[in-house]
Amino acid sequence: MKDFTHTTTQVQQQGGLTTHPVAEMYAAEHKAGRLDRREFLVRSTALGLSAAAAYSLIGATPAMADGHRAVPAEGGTLRIQQEVRALKDPRTFDWSQMANVTRGFLEYLIQYNNDGSFEGILLESWEANEDATVYTLNVRQGISWNNGDAFTAEDVAANLIGFCDTTVEGNSMATRMGGLVDEETGLAREGAIEVVDDHTVRVTYPSPDITFVPGVADYPSAIQHRDLIGTNPSDHGVGTGAYEITSYEVGVAATLSRKADHEYWGDTYLDEIVFVDLGQDPAAWFAGAEADEFDMTYETVGEFVDLFAAIGWDQSEVVTAATVVVRPNQNNAPYDNLQVRQAIQLAVDNQVCLDLGINGQGVTAENHHVCPIHPEYAELPPLTHDPAAAQALLEESGHADTEFELVSIDDDYRKNTTDAVAAQLRDAGFNVTRTIIPGSTFWNDWTSYPFSSTNWNHRELGVQILNLAYRSGVPWNESGFANDEFDALLTEANGIQDADARREIMAQLQTIMQEQGVTIQPYWRSLFRHSRPGLVNNEMHAKFEINVHYLGFAA
Amino acid sequence: MGAFILRRTGVMILTALCLTLVVFFLTNLYPNLEKLAKTQGNARMTDDEVVSWLDRNGYGGPLLVRYGEWLGIVPGWTREDPNTGEITGRCIDFGMDPADAPTRCGLLQGDLGFSTVSDEDVANVLPTRLLLTLKLMGYAFGLMVPAALLVGVLAGMREGSRLDRSLSTVSIASTATPEYVSGVIFIVLFASTTAGMSGALTEWGWLGGDGWLGDRRTLFLGSARSAMEDITFWNFTLPVVTIALYGMGYIARMTRASMAEVMTAQYIRTARLKGVSFRNIVMKHALRNALIAPFTVIMLQFPWLLTGVVIVETLFNYNGFGWTMVQAASNNDIELLLACSIVAVFVVLLTQLISDIGYVFLNPRIRIA
Repeated sequence: MKDFTHTTTQVQQQGGLTTHPVAEMYAAEHKAGRLDRREFLVRSTALGLSAAAAYSLIGATPAMADGHRAVPAEGGTLRIQQEVRALKDPRTFDWSQMANVTRGFLEYLIQYNNDGSFEGILLESWEANEDATVYTLNVRQGISWNNGDAFTAEDVAANLIGFCDTTVEGNSMATRMGGLVDEETGLAREGAIEVVDDHTVRVTYPSPDITFVPGVADYPSAIQHRDLIGTNPSDHGVGTGAYEITSYEVGVAATLSRKADHEYWGDTYLDEIVFVDLGQDPAAWFAGAEADEFDMTYETVGEFVDLFAAIGWDQSEVVTAATVVVRPNQNNAPYDNLQVRQAIQLAVDNQVCLDLGINGQGVTAENHHVCPIHPEYAELPPLTHDPAAAQALLEESGHADTEFELVSIDDDYRKNTTDAVAAQLRDAGFNVTRTIIPGSTFWNDWTSYPFSSTNWNHRELGVQILNLAYRSGVPWNESGFANDEFDALLTEANGIQDADARREIMAQLQTIMQEQGVTIQPYWRSLFRHSRPGLVNNEMHAKFEINVHYLGFAA
Repeated sequence: MGAFILRRTGVMILTALCLTLVVFFLTNLYPNLEKLAKTQGNARMTDDEVVSWLDRNGYGGPLLVRYGEWLGIVPGWTREDPNTGEITGRCIDFGMDPADAPTRCGLLQGDLGFSTVSDEDVANVLPTRLLLTLKLMGYAFGLMVPAALLVGVLAGMREGSRLDRSLSTVSIASTATPEYVSGVIFIVLFASTTAGMSGALTEWGWLGGDGWLGDRRTLFLGSARSAMEDITFWNFTLPVVTIALYGMGYIARMTRASMAEVMTAQYIRTARLKGVSFRNIVMKHALRNALIAPFTVIMLQFPWLLTGVVIVETLFNYNGFGWTMVQAASNNDIELLLACSIVAVFVVLLTQLISDIGYVFLNPRIRIA
């Protein structure tokens, strides 16, 4: 057996840039204390620096780059509690759970690690030019599909073109590809994706864009065989990974087994991984744990964090930019009234939402949806919580008697958080009705509820979430926020690499978010996972990813 | 008798048709189709994408035509993609040449359709699920009926005795406690490491490690998932008892009433006066007559069990028929739900048929009339 840690180090030292002018500037900023280590890693590895090189630029030991993965023992069966949903075209995946199953055979170009660094999987390395308009992708050599075909640059290009196809309903990759999509045809821009040679693909943006790498590291960007793009992977099972699906029963269980006649390019340890679906009720998961039906949870929430710890399971925690927003939709009265929105913000203490909503398992946020762990976060003055002022504003706006209907999905933390907001609004004199909609129908109208809560997952950069959710008219803009100044500033921020310059614009963007009362975004969630003792490389991932190739039992 | 059964079968088919039409109508209301598109496509699809998805997947046509397609009397839809020229259709499976596909594929052709949530033919999904539920119902029935009859007969033997009063209290209490209450209480008492009695048992060395009850951490398992493959006393007791307990009280009360009535009959008094022992009176004279009334009640329990398992299967994570029905309904899985309703109609009417026939055999008076 090869030493996996060692292999990774070698690969990272071979592949990837050793330096880049902008990355050197970031390194200087980090040394000057203007950029923390995580920010530095996100940015420099996104530019194409290998994690090892990035660490060495700032004088940290390169071993740290991959020291986070241990070498497990060979073999064994691991059971993971996780929903088993029907699979479909990976570009339309809307649950990380789907990708966790397919990750056993459909791999990704680039992987995001918890320390903030990006690591090449199917790419050996990548590099961005100085203004982040041209990305050169170097495809890892010697990989073959499990049907015997060689994995080449053609596969990568075909997938990138597929990502840009907006005619596929529910293809969320198109939003992530940004400027690569031609707005007129809804397809990839002519010449934006070129195959240079068998192992090199060049991606050219019309304007600077720093979100390409985080985009292709996200879970709907699984790489399919060039002839099978747009198909359901469970229909054909073709992939580059070491595993294959040997049984798949939606809502019940799925089994991945090592594929017998396929030589995997990397190292992997387990013989078999079983995903056990115990429904959506954490109480059922806990009963399942006590009945010895699985070895690790997908995610442990709320009071069950303490309960799992109490029965002696190992706990893994990660601080993320995952959150909940309780947002008024400005296309509906009375939320088109700025005073009403400001009154809502004044009435709610985010600390209370954190305590009652997720049991205090996280940190408070500042209603602008940019997280302190985001590279471009700018610190603003603390929020004020003033129910009396809120009441005064409400009366001034003439909506003192208006009925405010606050909608949420029926679950644990989203419902509790929304309840906490409703209670505080009532205390401040609002006339609030709570409506709770079952999970199965909640998403039918999620963008159009006048006043409701939605959860958002972690994203690597602050501009990503602002682009997705707050730019005028984008499909996921649930707050109905439309502000020309905001849009213009955001476009400007998308193209700026310099940390301080971008932070200045971010400060303005964040301030607009707060002043316009766009949303109550009360806290950033810590994510938890529990497992029975003796598992390795199964730490909770900021984006809920499970890479089954790394998992194993302690040697 | 033949004509009777034939008529009953006709009624059954008609009922199934009406019910499926209602289910079809409800599941095809636009908000439900939208929900389907969003669970199948992407939870965050836009309205235009929903319309296009529905159209592309054959949910666009008129309701009655699509109901006809499902029945198999109308040819299945086909659609040619304007961009790629690829032909898709109701009867064309992945990788199948459109030319080879049958024109009609519905109930009449023996095709139950496609379950969208399971991504699998309904015909592949349902039988395994039904078998699992059959096992659960079988065990529950096997426990419930004998126990209920025993309790009922014991209580009814001497009306108003201390035994009668205590057993009646138990059966009323068990009938008054629905499964979602008793199930939860059982889990807390017997299947939790932190509450109930398992902690004490572990402390005494009966459980955990190499205790004589096994190395489990709890006395019973609060999740019946492992019973899907291998039924054991420890993983199946709680769901079975939860179902059985609810139905038991009702049957026991019926048996008690019937038994009490029989015990006051003339022939019992005669037997007593002639000096027959109490034991023989109960066993040889009263019992047979007292069991006629509970028979109908017992047969009525079958359709009720079908709804009872919905709750218990969900609570104990046992993926049987009831669980499948909940999943199908919450995901608006149209064809799976239709198949479930056919099964439900079948079970209800079949048990009624059996009880009617059985009653005729048990009670000569009906046969003469």
